[in-house]
Amino acid sequence: MLEMKFKFSNSCAVLAYTLLVILPLWLALDRLIWVAGPNPIDWLSSLERNYIAQGVVQFTFIQALLSTLATLAIGLPIAWQLGRYKWPLQSLTKAILTMPFVMPSIVAAMGFLHIVGRAGLNIRIDESTWFLTLIIAHAWFNMALVIRFCEPVISTLDPRLEEQMRLLPAGSNKIRRFRNLWAPLLAPSIAAAACMTFVFSFTSFALVRWITLGENTLESVMAGIGSSAGIKGYMVSRNEIVLGSSMIQFTILLLSLVLMSWLQQKRQSLLPQVSEDIVKKSNPRGWYVIGPGLIFALSPLIAVFGASFRIRNTDSSGTNYTWETSGWEYAFTSSSSMTSAWDALYNSLGYAALTLIIAVPLGWILAQTILDLEEFNPKMARALDVLTMLPFAISSVMIGLGVMLGMIKIDAEFFYSFWPTPALAHVMITTPFVVRIMLPALRSIDPSYDECGRTLGIPKWKRFIQIQLPMLRGSILVAVIFTLAMSLGEFGASWVVTRNSDWTTLPVMIDSLKSIPYNNSLTAPAACAVSSVLMGITLLLFTWAEKFRPARDGGMF
Amino acid sequence: MYKFTAIVVLLIFNLATPGCLTESIDDGEPVKPEQYEYTDDGELVIVTYDVYGLTDEMLERFENQSGYEVSLLKLDDSGSVLDHLLQHKGLQVADLAIGLDNTYLQTALDNNVFWEHNALLNNISDSALQPYDGPLAVPFDQGYICLNYDSEVVDGENYSVPTSLWELTSDEWKGKVAIPSPETSSPGRAFMTATTDYFAHDEDNQSEWTDWWSAMSSNEVIITTGWSEAYETRYTGGYGEWTDGHVGDAHIVVSYCHSPGVESWYNGNWTKSAALDISRSSFHQVEYVAAIEGGNLDSASAFIEYLLTPEINSMMPIENSMYSALEGFDLPEENGYRFNSVVPDEPANVSSATIAKNMETWLEMWNNAMVDA
Repeated sequence: MLEMKFKFSNSCAVLAYTLLVILPLWLALDRLIWVAGPNPIDWLSSLERNYIAQGVVQFTFIQALLSTLATLAIGLPIAWQLGRYKWPLQSLTKAILTMPFVMPSIVAAMGFLHIVGRAGLNIRIDESTWFLTLIIAHAWFNMALVIRFCEPVISTLDPRLEEQMRLLPAGSNKIRRFRNLWAPLLAPSIAAAACMTFVFSFTSFALVRWITLGENTLESVMAGIGSSAGIKGYMVSRNEIVLGSSMIQFTILLLSLVLMSWLQQKRQSLLPQVSEDIVKKSNPRGWYVIGPGLIFALSPLIAVFGASFRIRNTDSSGTNYTWETSGWEYAFTSSSSMTSAWDALYNSLGYAALTLIIAVPLGWILAQTILDLEEFNPKMARALDVLTMLPFAISSVMIGLGVMLGMIKIDAEFFYSFWPTPALAHVMITTPFVVRIMLPALRSIDPSYDECGRTLGIPKWKRFIQIQLPMLRGSILVAVIFTLAMSLGEFGASWVVTRNSDWTTLPVMIDSLKSIPYNNSLTAPAACAVSSVLMGITLLLFTWAEKFRPARDGGMF
Repeated sequence: MYKFTAIVVLLIFNLATPGCLTESIDDGEPVKPEQYEYTDDGELVIVTYDVYGLTDEMLERFENQSGYEVSLLKLDDSGSVLDHLLQHKGLQVADLAIGLDNTYLQTALDNNVFWEHNALLNNISDSALQPYDGPLAVPFDQGYICLNYDSEVVDGENYSVPTSLWELTSDEWKGKVAIPSPETSSPGRAFMTATTDYFAHDEDNQSEWTDWWSAMSSNEVIITTGWSEAYETRYTGGYGEWTDGHVGDAHIVVSYCHSPGVESWYNGNWTKSAALDISRSSFHQVEYVAAIEGGNLDSASAFIEYLLTPEINSMMPIENSMYSALEGFDLPEENGYRFNSVVPDEPANVSSATIAKNMETWLEMWNNAMVDA
């Protein structure tokens, strides 16, 4: 009976997922095609006929490629040092170095703007530095991927293997050991990290929007013109541009994801593993890598926090700066033109909680479904695997457009008064992450435990609580915290969806504050103050995740 | 296996059904005022963008006077307000739209998204009523879009003050002119509209307005998403140079003819920015407030009336950095506000009907001109 029920829940999860993800996107697509016409050639060529969209494809590719290379260049040495050697306050060090990945991109944007700005390196004035700033910011954001993917492989490999290699001609020196042991061992992990970095850089929005003014990724182009999409007979070319951009994005991202799925399977290590404690030695020279790494990871956050207290005073005698808390007061005071940061905070926390309640169980069951399928229908399992990664392939702005156009079409009045609406977009974005986290965890559970329990006559629900749950505890916590962090920091989709409503979230509020023109000297510090709040919550969540993260051998996040 | 067949069927089902939801927008005749149906729910939802004039104080006063509860739906710019209205045609969520200008208004009118208000109004200036004088939208502020230059850089020695738009295509101005994109910004759109008129009346009858834009594109003109990026981030002559993220590579920018006046007002009678009065290169911009179809017509009309009272509207130059729409209220003279503002001798003359009819074509031509260069 319980067996039946479980299968039913599997189907329900797949159904819910399909409804939540496919329906809004289909509505958006349907409406865009209705306006733009069904010819994909027109969609693609519209990109080159438009001044803003012209050259965007090249820019998107080049920056994503360079960002990936930069991320590897920065991330690999850190991962090596972290994996091979002992560090004082090891878990804290690792936490700081991997924390940027959970930081909201808009916070990263504010941080880097202040690092290169007047009070920092003061290179912002030179336009030629913008592109490099973007690449570095992407590397900052994504280096955690490299560390998370590669470090466990390095830190848990049985050292005896390397010792044995030394005796063989193929491993007689460093270069040979690298070529014959480390390179083949790490290649799938490096490729997986590179693949994910490419995806995130390819669909970058907040960082591009704020750092490289005048340049656009496909994502920021869609965001910029999306508000006029879907209106029959009005600005038809914009619909074509949205369709063309999303088509290119979809193709590229889908390819990356299929590759990713394949690499994930390759990464399942077959080599002998031991505990980290056995592998690691101390290495004082490694500080030359870890030290700058720590500074790099922390500086944007420090910059944001500092800038929230720095108030500009301009009068006829010139400009000077004072240190005050008025930026914070401004942010937390409600006015008719700007909701207070309290409201944004409540909205953000509410949406995060709602996302959590839906996305984590959904993702978990989906992951279990994939595993169940692998046993008797591997092809179907692969198909579902890719389907659950679909929102990765559909950028968040497109998801936002889907939700927006969908709700206008179904019942505008209802959805505008329905507070949970923006959480739908967050569910669409976070569920794939939960699947990614839960899948390897579920896979790592040895079925013999369950079989033992069954032999002992323990009922299924009890086996679930007493065997499965404790073994999954770490992964569930990581999934919970990731979902919360992603929802709190989500920018692209929220920007599109909440623009037409008054449910501002923290990231959208930062953007609005930063966009307010006119010489109000408090808006920039206020934007940093709200960023600091968001940063604080994210840090709290992240530290919590790190604390409860069990000493696991491997895993993606 | 049956389960997966079911999933596939469900997927196809999902993909097929939404098509039914797509319906065509009804472009029929506008509804007559006698047929308006609405309920006065005691609320007023305003869809707008960053219109500074809508201060807390001013809104609170309206709430106290009228008893209506006001909420704001703030979008990015004038264009987003139009997008919002068209997106929600027949399903409007707001009662009142504030901030469409005369380059956008006619499109909204053609799509019947407004209702005739029943506010009692008087003393609106002829100039404000010149682009549109009807019951569907009311002007509440106005101003002229024109080129501004940094007079400390453009001092007659290093750079000479341009006397024609063609001069901006010379080497001297390479990469030194910032213009907000007509695709995404209303000042940008107004300026592009002005250039259509400028080049239809310039001395040589050879060149089209698109030729100038192509030449500007080749001359590395800086096209920005919005006005603030052009004026704050790029322009050297304005207050932007004190803000973080300032780049300052443009000495000429498209802004308002009274922007130098605003600079002067805030800087205690000092500005280095000046407006450039080239015949037909400036554009008379009027911003409108209008009651949205299906909304609360009573609260919308009450607000329109309130916004056009001399008490509130005379504050436009200070609160909103724009001219009042009422007769007899000029910019204040204090701090050189009026002195540093220019009223153009001969602004571009393009009717709202012409703008609405041609705007999409113009934008397409503009894109082609910029891309082909």
